[in-house]
Amino acid sequence: MDLECCWNRDVITQADCPKVVEGEEELLVSKWQRNLEKCCECPTFLNDLKQLRDDGNPLAPVLTGFLAEFRRQKSQIQSLVSFLDSKTLEIRFLHELGSVLQSSVDLDEVLSVALTAITAGKGFGMNRAFLLLCDRQEGKLKGYLGLGPRNFEEASQVWEEIAQNDMDLQTLAQNFRLNKLSSEREKFHDVLEQLTVPLSNKEHILVKALDGKRPLLVEGAFQHPDVPPELANLLGVDAFMLMPLISRNRRVGMIIADNCITQRAITEEDMHSMETFSFTVAFAIERASLYDKLQVELERVTEAGKKLKEQQELIVRMENMALVGRITSSIAHSVRNPLMIIGGFARSMLKNSPASDSKRTFIESIVAETRQLEGVLDEILNYSDSLYPTRDFWDVNQLIETALHDTADVLTSNGYATVYSPGTDLPQVYIDFKLLSNCLKTVLHNDISGIGTDLSISISSRRADDGVILNIEDRSRHLSQAELDHLLVPFSETRELGAGLGLALCKTMMERQGIPFVAQADLQDGIRYTITLPTRKEEQT
Amino acid sequence: MSRLLVVDDEANIRLLYSEELKDEGYDVVTAASSAEAIEKLQTGAFDLAVLDIKLKNESGIELLQKLVKERHDMPVILCSAFSCYKDDFSAWLADGYVVKSGDLTELKQEISRVLAKKAQKVKAKV
Repeated sequence: MDLECCWNRDVITQADCPKVVEGEEELLVSKWQRNLEKCCECPTFLNDLKQLRDDGNPLAPVLTGFLAEFRRQKSQIQSLVSFLDSKTLEIRFLHELGSVLQSSVDLDEVLSVALTAITAGKGFGMNRAFLLLCDRQEGKLKGYLGLGPRNFEEASQVWEEIAQNDMDLQTLAQNFRLNKLSSEREKFHDVLEQLTVPLSNKEHILVKALDGKRPLLVEGAFQHPDVPPELANLLGVDAFMLMPLISRNRRVGMIIADNCITQRAITEEDMHSMETFSFTVAFAIERASLYDKLQVELERVTEAGKKLKEQQELIVRMENMALVGRITSSIAHSVRNPLMIIGGFARSMLKNSPASDSKRTFIESIVAETRQLEGVLDEILNYSDSLYPTRDFWDVNQLIETALHDTADVLTSNGYATVYSPGTDLPQVYIDFKLLSNCLKTVLHNDISGIGTDLSISISSRRADDGVILNIEDRSRHLSQAELDHLLVPFSETRELGAGLGLALCKTMMERQGIPFVAQADLQDGIRYTITLPTRKEEQT
Repeated sequence: MSRLLVVDDEANIRLLYSEELKDEGYDVVTAASSAEAIEKLQTGAFDLAVLDIKLKNESGIELLQKLVKERHDMPVILCSAFSCYKDDFSAWLADGYVVKSGDLTELKQEISRVLAKKAQKVKAKV
């Protein structure tokens, strides 16, 4: 039998086999390799095989069967290789996307990358995507960002632009963030507004998909029983996918994507790819949101730290001043008394000595020297007084606790019980601490002259719009409002009421500093003092 | 002759005040502590008291409050080495305040002023 084909020759030339092309020269010398790669598809070889079959060669049918099976398996392998190639590309893409997303903590950047990846031809190639985020404070799933064309003309223009520029995904995302983020937000403003759904609306398809934590492909949206007609009309497409964004089992948000322009069917493959992608996006969004919150907290802590440092410096300054004050007071007591005794007796002697007394000049010198020393002492005392700042920001609780501490012994010995209920979140107040402390002590001391049986004083503080309000309720004194008003008039005769001038002076001093002081009397319940302390500098006059 | 009670824990100051105020024509009784002052007050009427604020382990302010409450017709002048007590409202219960000095002119003037004021009040009541 004459064979047409070269399949059984060990070595051939390029002219013998048209199937072997340039670059495949090694096949010319390798019969086995040539048979596998070229012969099974070669019509000349198939003719030889037919000839063998026709000649009744018993091996020919077996060989034909093997050949069919070989070709089938080869085709299967080729489709698997093609599938693996596409998966490799997808994994590479997701890896690239993951790297970009993981390297960013900027929420807008993350969202730009995510939506660009969904809509770009080099990404998932969807026509349009909306991103919704969970607002836990408001309890809503809110439309946050949209990307994609609104009509065919816009789509053609954008896709042409992308094709001309041939940008990679990251560049596309950067470009979108820098040039189109706000305009796209504005473009889809109406849609995003209407995509907002309360998370409590468990029957809504968006919330259902979110709670189910599984992606959902919606087909036949206009007739779908679970899709509200307004949602179908809003999106204007018959098919769309809902991709919940879940991070660490927490609901982060939702992606809605569709092919509103091309109407290309959304496949199971699309869904699987997007599901893998959604984990990375959800994690990146949550991390970026947490980073935002962290930044806010960091700023708050930094601010608090700064204030704390200022307060610490102030305390140190005050402590130093208090130390100076204590030292000078101690000097005053130790030096002034002997000094005044020396000076006093010297003056007394001078007064009683005749002008002719020869010792008179010595005594005059003693008087002059003690006068000078007393002057120095006054200067030191005035300086120590001037070290105390007049008005500054102070902690209300510190003010009240100081006043209570200073009056504790006297109050306890007189059988009084005091209760202080501090308000929460109290801002610092701008006051003359020394003056206010003295005022509070005076109010508390005045209460000691109580005449009732309920010897209790309740103090409370609370935040108000115009400052911090202090309430002091004294249940021991039962006066009429007229009697109390009388007490509050400076230099009125008040001693029989046991209150001295203190209350009137307190009222005057505080009002001079723009601090309202109100005293209300009730014959049954006692006296209630209300003091409103300013929290801003400009509130004081 | 006006009768004055001088309360100070320093013996030399009591002596100085006593001598100087007697020269001014006052009848002066002295006390070294609050307890002694209360005791002396039982012995008869006084027209005015001069109190030191720091009395060893006691406070002249407490004595002042006691006097204001129990002897509210008797004026009190506080006399102290500490000018800072002028800011303390408790001290403002007193009728006068003088910072201690070897020159007793201010104290003497204050005593005259307070006694004159008291006399006016009595006259007005009558």
